[in-house]
Amino acid sequence: MIRFENASVTYPGGVHALRDLTLEIPDGQMMVIVGLSGAGKSTLIRAINGLVPLSEGDVTIDGVSVRRANPRQLRQLRSKIGMIFQTFNLVKRTTVLNNVLMGRLHSTGTLRSLLGWYRAEDVEVAMQALERVGIVEKAYVRAANLSGGQQQRVGIARALAQQPKIILADEPVASLDPPTSHVVMRDLQRINRELKITTIVNLHFLDLAKVYGERIIGLRQGELVYDGTAAEADENVFRDIYGRSLTADDLMGEAAAAPATL
Amino acid sequence: MTVATAQPGGRPARPRPSLAVPIGLLAFVAVTWASASEQFGIGLEVGDLIADIGRGAEIIADLFNPDWEFLPQTVGPMVETFQMAVLASVLGCAVALLVAFLASRVTAPNAPVFLAARTVLSVVRAIPDILYALVFVAAAGIGPLAGIAALTFFNIGVVAKLLSETVDGVDTGPIEAARAAGGNRLQTVRWSVLPQVLPNYVAYSLYTFELNIRASTVIGIVGAGGIGYLLQTQYRFFAWERVSVIIIELFVFVFLIELLSIWLRRRLV
Repeated sequence: MIRFENASVTYPGGVHALRDLTLEIPDGQMMVIVGLSGAGKSTLIRAINGLVPLSEGDVTIDGVSVRRANPRQLRQLRSKIGMIFQTFNLVKRTTVLNNVLMGRLHSTGTLRSLLGWYRAEDVEVAMQALERVGIVEKAYVRAANLSGGQQQRVGIARALAQQPKIILADEPVASLDPPTSHVVMRDLQRINRELKITTIVNLHFLDLAKVYGERIIGLRQGELVYDGTAAEADENVFRDIYGRSLTADDLMGEAAAAPATL
Repeated sequence: MTVATAQPGGRPARPRPSLAVPIGLLAFVAVTWASASEQFGIGLEVGDLIADIGRGAEIIADLFNPDWEFLPQTVGPMVETFQMAVLASVLGCAVALLVAFLASRVTAPNAPVFLAARTVLSVVRAIPDILYALVFVAAAGIGPLAGIAALTFFNIGVVAKLLSETVDGVDTGPIEAARAAGGNRLQTVRWSVLPQVLPNYVAYSLYTFELNIRASTVIGIVGAGGIGYLLQTQYRFFAWERVSVIIIELFVFVFLIELLSIWLRRRLV
């Protein structure tokens, strides 16, 4: 279980990205975070794996404090948390497999990993992760030669290769077209259900949030303004989260979401 | 477009032109002029160069008439120069790879290490190769060992500087990904940064190798071995036909390395 206890993040310069957040995320949940740009979605996600340090309060994962963890303990915590990024964050010049093997760094000794001498078991885990997202045939292709959707699936495979308990996805479909977005979201949903991995996803398309979120939380200027099920989150709720009425830009679109394309 | 009927306050006022550009330009012209002038500078007279060019005609004629019989005698020193350049490049570039990561803000473990590495690099680069050669000839005696040591330091300065600046410009996304996956600092550098800068590193290494071949002529003059030592003895005897052979050889050598470098870079990038 992930617990935020009065967590606040203030960036140098005085921007309050997260204000006094208290939140519990039970194991195995698929939670979607919505909010405008700058509402604190990315900060919330990065507070969980300590990429963004808290200014006040704490985040605990199964009772272990992220804030009080020393560098070694923090790496230990991170090894159980996979992360997926808006811009994929792959090393484009190297192979897909090498990118996915980054998910095995935590279990590989420094000398071994410097030499690129991964254990056969670790390569096997990486290959299985690629199989799960359906692009194992690209294992020895350079990441740069893949399409955006394929690159994001490599990103997911890298996270899966960690054999994580939690997956954090920071706007995973914001760089993708609508049909590809649904493919990637369904991959995440399937992983959440089949592997019982707690999955936390930032989204800014409200229709996607409603389709894929088991639970939705809304952030506005760093504050939690909504916490409920996807079914309860109607237009009024989103209007409240966004602080303005909704426009077509807030939706990915009906056509792509229609079951026919699923 | 309805630009003509712009709302009041719609268009911003044109910003005041900065004085920095004309002042800078003026200073640039002044310094250049002063450097050339007789009064403040070196008294540059292009006429002198042309007037005296006849005196050099004999030397130039000899240079255009290489003595190919001398070629066999140059092979040994040329091979030595090549070997010196190989060893100095391997040593220098290996050290530079480590130093470069310490001298980039992106990969340095902390600010003091970063500043220390940058400072050391500045000092290493501020010392000219011939001074290194003089120091190492004094320390290790005349011969290729002094040359290798001198060139190694020279290479560290060049490659670490260029590479650290390349590292400054890498995509930091993969670094965040490696950290998020629980990788430690070395693992992150190895798998997120190194693949991004590897083609540049190879190019810089080949570039210094080429510089080493050329620099060996200069450091050979102070006794640090290789073709430079032979070059020095030949021009001391005004044997310009022989100097010419060495120059042509060096040209061909450097040109071939350049071709190899282009080919390798194309394969890597």
